[in-house]
Amino acid sequence: MTLSASLNGAEQRRPSRLGRMLEDRLPYLIVAPAILILLLVGLFPLIYSLIVSFQRITMTENDTTFVGLLNYAELFRDTRLWASLGHTAIITAIALPLELLIGFLMAQLFIDRMPGRQIFLALLVLPTVISPIVAGATWRLMFDVRFGPIGQILSFIAGEPVRILWTVNPAYVYPAIIICEVWQWSPFMFLLLLAALSNVDPSQLEAAEIDGASYLRVLRAIVLPAIAPVIAVACLIRGLDLVRIFDIIWTLTEGGPGSMTETISLYTYVQGFSQFETSYTAAISFLVIALLTVITTLVLKRMELAR
Amino acid sequence: MKFRTFLGAVAVLALAGTSASAGDKDAADTAVEAAKKYAGTTISIVWEAGLQSLDPLNYSGPQWEKLTGIKVKVVEVPTDQMFTKIMQDFKSGAGAYDALNVIPSWMPDLARAGALEPLDKYVDKFGYRDELQDIAAAYRDNQMQYDGKIYGFPDDGDVMLLYYRKDIFDDPKMKDEFKAKFGYELAPPKDWKQFDEIGQFITDKMAPKVYGAGFFRTAPYPHYMFQERFRMEGGKFFNADTMKATVNGEVGLKVFKQMLAENKFMPPGVEQWNFVDNLAAFLQGTTAMTISWPPYGRWAAGYGSGEEALKWVPKSQVAGKVGYALTPLGRPELGVGFDLSVSATSKNKEAAYLFIQWLNSKKTSLERVQLPYTLRDPFRLSHYASEKYRALWPDAPAYLDTIKTSGEKGLLDLSLLQQDKYDEAMTKAISSLWAGEDPKAILDRMAQQFDAITEKVGVDNQKAVYKVWAAKPGAYPR
Repeated sequence: MTLSASLNGAEQRRPSRLGRMLEDRLPYLIVAPAILILLLVGLFPLIYSLIVSFQRITMTENDTTFVGLLNYAELFRDTRLWASLGHTAIITAIALPLELLIGFLMAQLFIDRMPGRQIFLALLVLPTVISPIVAGATWRLMFDVRFGPIGQILSFIAGEPVRILWTVNPAYVYPAIIICEVWQWSPFMFLLLLAALSNVDPSQLEAAEIDGASYLRVLRAIVLPAIAPVIAVACLIRGLDLVRIFDIIWTLTEGGPGSMTETISLYTYVQGFSQFETSYTAAISFLVIALLTVITTLVLKRMELAR
Repeated sequence: MKFRTFLGAVAVLALAGTSASAGDKDAADTAVEAAKKYAGTTISIVWEAGLQSLDPLNYSGPQWEKLTGIKVKVVEVPTDQMFTKIMQDFKSGAGAYDALNVIPSWMPDLARAGALEPLDKYVDKFGYRDELQDIAAAYRDNQMQYDGKIYGFPDDGDVMLLYYRKDIFDDPKMKDEFKAKFGYELAPPKDWKQFDEIGQFITDKMAPKVYGAGFFRTAPYPHYMFQERFRMEGGKFFNADTMKATVNGEVGLKVFKQMLAENKFMPPGVEQWNFVDNLAAFLQGTTAMTISWPPYGRWAAGYGSGEEALKWVPKSQVAGKVGYALTPLGRPELGVGFDLSVSATSKNKEAAYLFIQWLNSKKTSLERVQLPYTLRDPFRLSHYASEKYRALWPDAPAYLDTIKTSGEKGLLDLSLLQQDKYDEAMTKAISSLWAGEDPKAILDRMAQQFDAITEKVGVDNQKAVYKVWAAKPGAYPR
């Protein structure tokens, strides 16, 4: 009687088919709203932009007829676009190694205990936490030909007035942008590399020291291989940031003189929000996405191979 | 018979009296009376961010609410985003804005898109046509209509003036030496050759304390100076038959070379100067001549120096020493300006219209152009003649007379479909000029860019708009 009752009870507790189905799918139901929102927020604009890139929408003409690859064909004829990609490449190719090198040297300096280390660390990280637009505006003042401290310092050193038009003279506009960029983002590299250097196996370093290995040998054989994955990730993050560089250039030169320092982000902004070429801007965005995807895939592949 | 004649005369006089009183009715009062039925509603108006918007925020908005019970919500937008915001609102059909500030050179784009409400029917309904005649012809005839319809009321008398230091120009020693060297009197320059000679002379004599001249050289304004000089030297922007750009000919090259050469007698680093840098230099007495909009003249005289909103303006060291003149060659660029318009998507069109009629009316606008902290400049004949305005500082009569003459002779800004793209091409070209690039190469590139823009807009479309623009009295000097 007791056994039978307990069997009956178990039968009663066994979930129904609907209940089982709900139970099986409950996790999916719980995450479904989040996924839906993610798709709406992330994927929908992407798909919508893709559709727009095949139309001819401008601010004045809402022409949604399908024009095929017309906007994409125009990309290849747009010399200003390719020039802006070239400018982006120049800035990335110069600023990224400089940031890496300076970040690494700073990390080497700070790896050992030293008095006031925490204070210096906090001060060094300051540029990274301020907004790039503020950094750009600050450096614009620093470079000002009349009131800027840089001109005054150079004049003091030279013993005569030194008047450099940092944001006008073609010879100085790139140095100005790169100085500002490196000033702001080297500390980011420094932080990552400091963390990586702190994790290098000390027993290996001690063994090398006992064996009398030179500093360069230790660096090449132990330190760099140990921190290589971090360097790769740091370079990837900063590389992608540099491709998107906008604020600093906007505040320093607005892409000038002429279009000499116009990067792909600036050009996209001008096309989209100043000249209102909505469909063409969507096509530019997809070109950039395609380029970045290829570059990122190649870098990730190399990282995988290195590992 | 005599009695009938008498009765007839009485009737004529009575009719004349009635029509006279209708004609004399103040457009501001008419707007206020008519707007009272909308008491309790709120209208929004797009206004240029910064000093300009202090007018509706501090003065006209609160006063309108007091008079009519209609609240005014001021939407402050930076100049370079105003066109986008207006178009975005129109395209979305949201109707977020009721009244608008519109730069006249945008009018073809906005009117053709249908973003602006035609105002003719309101003008007639609320008896505003007579008062429109008081607006100076340069603005009324050129900046009010598109395709024969009124789309905006000119509300800002923007025009370039030449400011010069009277104390330096009147200095007997300077005068004598100048005359001995160049054979003519030291006086406000009549052409650019004189401007260059005077500028260089003063720099040679007085630099680094005072330089001959200073201009704003960075985006977005220098192209207005190019537009003026290019046309005054005989240049045409396009071939009217083909719409091919003709900015890269001999005239363009001459103007570019002159502009570049002038930097040599201006303060070092002038290539980086913006509106405020140039203002500061002139007010501090570092430059003897400059060309800019009318607020420079008021601020140089020290007008409004106690205002909190004008604390950023350097204290004038040249008050009482500044003379006003036409720019060299005598046809100054009108340069930007603002119209008051009604958004086509507004849900309160009549209330919005009444607000802009009241703002723009003789009575209200006279008060507004005297607000020291805003940048609205006199634009009505009654403003130029106002005894109240003319008594604001000792040289105010000369100031107002020069603005009046400059406005009468003013050259219109180029105004085509997608004008902002042509402006951008000119701005970039000028910044390349300061960077030392070959002027001819820059101009050729600018012409190519003009052609590409025209091609994209549609040659025939643009040709039609250009034809209308070029036929206006202020488009090209005749």
